Amino acid sequence: MAQQSSATSVDDAFCPPEQEWQRVSPLLGRAYRITLVFWCAVLAVGLGALLLVPRMPAWIPLAGLVVVLVVLVWSWIVIGRRVRSWGYVERGDDLLVTSGILFRRLVIVPYGRMQLVDLRAGPLDRALGITTVQLHTAAATTDATIPGLSPDVAAALRDRLAREGERRSAGL
Amino acid sequence: MSGERPDPLSFEVVPAASGPDAEGRRRVHPYTPLVHGFQWWPAGIAAAVVLVSETGVSLGGGGLLLGVAAMLLLTLVGTAFGYLSWQRLTFWFDADGDLRVDSGVLSRQERRLQLSRLQSVDVLQPFLARLVGLAEVRVEVAGAGDSRVSLQYLALAEANALRNEVVARAAGVRHDAEEAPEQVLAVVPAGDLVLSLLLRVETFGLLAVTVLVVALTIATAGPAGLVLVLVGGVPLFQVFAQFSRYYDFTVADSPDGLRLRHGLLQKTRQTVPPGRVQAVGFVQPVLWGRKNWVRVRLNVAGISAATQGSGDQSFSENVLLPVAPWPVALDIVSRVLPGVDLRAIPLDPAPQRSRRRAWIQWSRLAVGHDEQVFVARRGRVVQRWDVIPHARTQSVRVTQGLWERALGLASMHVDSTPGAVTISALHRDAGDARRLAEAQSERAAAARARDRSTRWAAPTSDVDAHPAPPAEAGRVE
Repeated sequence: MAQQSSATSVDDAFCPPEQEWQRVSPLLGRAYRITLVFWCAVLAVGLGALLLVPRMPAWIPLAGLVVVLVVLVWSWIVIGRRVRSWGYVERGDDLLVTSGILFRRLVIVPYGRMQLVDLRAGPLDRALGITTVQLHTAAATTDATIPGLSPDVAAALRDRLAREGERRSAGL
Repeated sequence: MSGERPDPLSFEVVPAASGPDAEGRRRVHPYTPLVHGFQWWPAGIAAAVVLVSETGVSLGGGGLLLGVAAMLLLTLVGTAFGYLSWQRLTFWFDADGDLRVDSGVLSRQERRLQLSRLQSVDVLQPFLARLVGLAEVRVEVAGAGDSRVSLQYLALAEANALRNEVVARAAGVRHDAEEAPEQVLAVVPAGDLVLSLLLRVETFGLLAVTVLVVALTIATAGPAGLVLVLVGGVPLFQVFAQFSRYYDFTVADSPDGLRLRHGLLQKTRQTVPPGRVQAVGFVQPVLWGRKNWVRVRLNVAGISAATQGSGDQSFSENVLLPVAPWPVALDIVSRVLPGVDLRAIPLDPAPQRSRRRAWIQWSRLAVGHDEQVFVARRGRVVQRWDVIPHARTQSVRVTQGLWERALGLASMHVDSTPGAVTISALHRDAGDARRLAEAQSERAAAARARDRSTRWAAPTSDVDAHPAPPAEAGRVE
């Protein structure tokens, strides 16, 4: 299943296999953004409270607020790309997961090596209707996490993975 | 082990505990609570010394009496708690031949160790237990989380017998079989060990820190501080700790696996059954080059990441050979990985432009593979060769940082179980890294299909020992 193209381009390492990447729900971006805005708001309130402190020069909290605003705007834009960078493909023998923009990664997990398939959804995730699927192997470094799946898709994926895993279980 | 010299440090050889009860359940040795009670003493004495030297309390009658009283109280409490847990700890082999352990004073714990998934059996003798001829047995099976059971303490002969029984049952042979004969492969001479530890790169760092710590303490606290420092605050003691841990390191081969014995104060006897080795790593600090020495480390499944860093024995569990000449090391590794000739594997270097990403080690970066294993080489100051059998590959990753991306490079990693050995093909051409990953993934799949290593001594028809299927854990509320 090796890639046939021999031309070296930057994206060679992370190009999709024969199938296209399955992308995750844009709702994941909304979840990230809500979290982002929440923490930025907490920071802003904290900085605002600094204004009330006696003998505090006003420029200190104001400079802080500007930094928070810049981080907010930049993250808001990057989150879109970050969410679009997640992708997974179920192949015959293994699952491929890719993610990341600055630090990119791609992991190939054989079904026979899976020890555990986890489904996770926090309160915010449940309100938005997204779920995280995480695969565990005997290696701690495997790190195959797929966030932002709709609960039905996630459950179906979990069941398929568990079935394939049981069929091919290779122990250690 | 049979035919071994009596331990010169042991002043009393305790008799084996009484036999199993009506249900076949056995208990650990009745002296165990006492050992638990007295194990406070070294720490207690050290604390007392520090206290006296720090506060300048004179060692008059009152203070000494109080100290002794406190120690005795601690001993008593320790012994009492030890007695309670001794009373509630039973172990036996169940009808399926698995090891069962019931324990716990406040919260009861019942464990069943599926011996077909056995990873290693250790017989340890911590210093105090060794003095009275007792030993601890640690049984490790593969599994997520804490999959280890420690039986403290048994008479040494009994501990060795239990070890043999566990290994024999795991191998699928009759459990009352004789202990398998062994062949000693290597003994590390104490002189080589000392020299090798002194020539490690870390030693120089530790030396620098030690000089700094001692100088600072004397400057700030005067001579009183010196005592404080000597009670374990000197980083250079780590070198001695390593010496003590790997002293008299002996590697022996036997049909039930590799046996490792080592230790100056605490004696450890490890057994790694065949086929349990997940990855092997060679390490050669730059100063060992002249001696042609190398250290060999192992990944063994079941020694979870949680236990890896904690506990004083964790370090030894991943060392196959603390120091040995290359030919000896290669010979021993060839027992662990039969049919693999590491010298014959051609290595493919990373591209020249990796120099701009890894300016020291770039020319050492290389990978290779043969029918059975994948090899990655890296490091210049501390040279490393990491080897993983295709059949033990867990997953394969490709990663790319910013700087790598700018250079069109990417790194490929072969994931093994948690341990000292990590296998990375660093800074390859990006497309090359991906092709390596795909190819390794295919080799791993083919090797998995061929592999069967549970119940290694059983007849080939016995394939009931299939490992448990992956659990499925849906936790969505």
